[in-house]
Amino acid sequence: MSATAWLELIASGLITGGIYALIALGLNLQYGLMRILNIAHGEFLMLGAYLTWLAHTQLALSPLVMVPLSFAAMMVLGVAIHFLCFRRLTATSPNLDVFEARGLMVAFGLMFLVQNLVSWQWGGDLRGYDYLTEPVKLGEAQFAANKLLVLGLALLFSGALIVLMRQTLLGKGVRALMQSPVGAQLMGIDTKTLHPLIFGIGLGLSGVAGALLSMAYTITPYMGQPYTVTALIVITLGGFGSMGGALIGGLMLGVIEAFGMHFTNPSLKALLSYAVFIAVLILRPEGLLTRKTRKA
Amino acid sequence: MSSRQLLIRDLLVLLAFAGWALALPAYASDFVTAMALTCLMYVALSSSWGLFCGSTRYLSLATSAFFGVGAYTTALLLADLGWVQTIALGAGLAMLVALVMGAAVLHLRGTYFAVLTFGMTELIMHAVTYFEKKVTGTVGRVLTVVPDNHVIYLTVLALAVLAVVVSIVVRRTRFGLALMGIGADEQRAQTLGVNTRLVKIAGFALTAGFAGAVGAAMAVRWTYIDPHTVFNPFIGFQTVLITLIGGVMTLWGPLLAAIIFSVLAESLRLQFPQIYLMSLGLLLILSVLYLPGGLASLRWETFKAWWYDTRDWAKDLKREITGQKERDKQRLKRREKESYFV
Amino acid sequence: MSEQRTPLLQVHDLSVRFGGLTAVDGVSASFYPGELVGIIGPNGAGKTTLFNAISGVQLPSSGRLSVQGRRLTGRSPHRFAALGVARTFQTPRVFADMPVAANIEFGLKFAGRRRRKYLFWGDEVGVPWALRDAPSILSLIGLLPQAGLPAGDITPSQQRLLEIGMALATRPKLLLLDEVAAGLTDAEVEDMARLIRRLRDELDVTVIWIEHAVATLLQHVERVIVLHQGRMLADDSPHNVVRNPEVIEAYLGDEMVRPDEQAQEQDLAVIS
Repeated sequence: MSATAWLELIASGLITGGIYALIALGLNLQYGLMRILNIAHGEFLMLGAYLTWLAHTQLALSPLVMVPLSFAAMMVLGVAIHFLCFRRLTATSPNLDVFEARGLMVAFGLMFLVQNLVSWQWGGDLRGYDYLTEPVKLGEAQFAANKLLVLGLALLFSGALIVLMRQTLLGKGVRALMQSPVGAQLMGIDTKTLHPLIFGIGLGLSGVAGALLSMAYTITPYMGQPYTVTALIVITLGGFGSMGGALIGGLMLGVIEAFGMHFTNPSLKALLSYAVFIAVLILRPEGLLTRKTRKA
Repeated sequence: MSSRQLLIRDLLVLLAFAGWALALPAYASDFVTAMALTCLMYVALSSSWGLFCGSTRYLSLATSAFFGVGAYTTALLLADLGWVQTIALGAGLAMLVALVMGAAVLHLRGTYFAVLTFGMTELIMHAVTYFEKKVTGTVGRVLTVVPDNHVIYLTVLALAVLAVVVSIVVRRTRFGLALMGIGADEQRAQTLGVNTRLVKIAGFALTAGFAGAVGAAMAVRWTYIDPHTVFNPFIGFQTVLITLIGGVMTLWGPLLAAIIFSVLAESLRLQFPQIYLMSLGLLLILSVLYLPGGLASLRWETFKAWWYDTRDWAKDLKREITGQKERDKQRLKRREKESYFV
Repeated sequence: MSEQRTPLLQVHDLSVRFGGLTAVDGVSASFYPGELVGIIGPNGAGKTTLFNAISGVQLPSSGRLSVQGRRLTGRSPHRFAALGVARTFQTPRVFADMPVAANIEFGLKFAGRRRRKYLFWGDEVGVPWALRDAPSILSLIGLLPQAGLPAGDITPSQQRLLEIGMALATRPKLLLLDEVAAGLTDAEVEDMARLIRRLRDELDVTVIWIEHAVATLLQHVERVIVLHQGRMLADDSPHNVVRNPEVIEAYLGDEMVRPDEQAQEQDLAVIS
């Protein structure tokens, strides 16, 4: 295979991987901080995609503009959802395991709700629009401009989130909460405002991913679920709670999938992803990229 | 009510239900009978699911996998074996899959377990699809030898009754106690002598057996099956939803919810399928938030408590709006400051 | 003092490490039937971790464990329970939604069942009379009036007693009590100590007791093990342990030796 072909293969893997990383980061924030396994996460990606599509086709807004707008919209929605649904759970659950189970079930319900709301309103057909479809040449390799944009923006947002977590006070507070909920609260970190905010940011990232996806791919009300599963696979690979792990894991998975599809059979893609997922969960549940921590 | 009286009451209710279900096809329309069949299917699925997953709090999303295994058993072997043998084999194979899955996966905690069972279901579906395409060269299977509708109805009814009977019985045995102990505090149960690994695998296999049998029986309702139809994760989701809304730890909750949802499903599904699903989702959220015990745990006290909660919330809101809350807070702060000097 | 009896529990060079932290460091000891042993040491000394290891709840990083001659290193807790190792948890872990009586019956129905080779007679032979059923155990620990209440509704000290009851329900040969006297008044601690003595005397069970109420413990046990930073500092009679210089420095100070004895020893030193 020529160098160009290799480059294109890796790039296409990175492009999908960038999206994976974005939603994995969002899911990670929610689970790592709040132990809410938001199995409806992909549905908000789908919402972001639909919002962008609507804005573009009805209001002629550029999808580029919709990227931060989707973030904002999903974030507000996220805060509202946390306030309406998850806050009560924190108050009424007797222990963490019950809270996790109930959170999972609420997310389940959300998944049904959102998916079918969109399907009801806009139908189950594939939708899409064209945006920046001209190819761009880098050396010998050819890429669609919109896909390059997707990769660039995905990396930008992921990077921004990681910087936020590392450098800002907010981020440090979040990481403190993740490591020691009680200790952090004793230090004065306010979970009542932080939790909805972070939940919102997680959903916002999902919305961004959806907006980006809509630029280059077709959308359907059911597109969310596979991405939720992929996000789960990614955070399993990278380790629950690890931001860097989610980023690297996402990119890695994208590349692995691209290679797997190219060298074996495209229909094996799903099989491969799930097999990897199950293997990691069984053999190394703390993730491939984390150090083994003490048994609590 | 003593334990024996409860047992008799449960069995009588079951008998009544079974009798009514038995008589139904004789006087009801085809539509209603079909609805009853779906209902019975979900009674069987939810009762067996709730027995294991409700007590142990291990939420399994693998029901679709077991259902599909049973369905494929029928698709492949019904022509050669008898009806009862096929059903039994479907159940057996599903249990085998559960043993393997369980051994690999049951040592993980609740959320991991749920996610993993979902992943494994998808894995099995993709594996079967791939296998069919590459090895046997088919996409789906056609069922040629199909038993009478009445036979199917009776079989599923029998399975539903059996599922409830098993639930009733297991709850009164050591096995049932072990399941509850695992759900309450697994490690503690271990230190008291429960071989949790074995108990979990057995419980898991039990749910698999029922799901497999039901799958094997229902497969003949579709004359053409393919992996996406019978391994459809929605079957598993709906089972979970119904059991959760009905009351995951109760005996009659799943049955009650199955009835309600079958009616809802059949009446809404053709016209407004999305609304049906949306209402399912909404109901699940509401029930987890406000009625975690499920419909079966509804008591007069629950309604009273809701009324008081709403009243208090309204009062609180009014206080906020009129500024009274802020005034109270200030007064409290002043009092606290003063008390420092006492 | 110990004849050539088979030890009930043998711990050989046991270590438990969590990443960089060594919670238990090369502890070796043997425990014989009928003993009443106390384990003391400062916080973080590894006492509860040791209990976790010898009840199967924690996997040791190295070392060997055998119960009644059977190697049990790394096996699941229910095997330990089946061989007669029962334990309480420092923070009571009762089944909050079940009635108190059901909590006791749990142990009776699982590890507390003695399987017999011949299935003719009931399998209750060889069980102490006081542990024959849930009501008896409840009256032994003083919780009979609360039998029907959900275990989550009783007071924490009652829950601690329930913990002991649940452990007893497994008809153990070895009873591990983890700080069962925590937070009790002096009088209550004395009552607890007497209860523990009774358990050992009447039920033919070996008791290992972790406690911070050192003074009371020292008066009732025959053998004391002192842990400090995971290592065993001493394994001796109470009399010798309180005079052990390492123990004094690490944990006890010299107030454990009674002042008049101290004075006597000082006089002797002056004379000699």
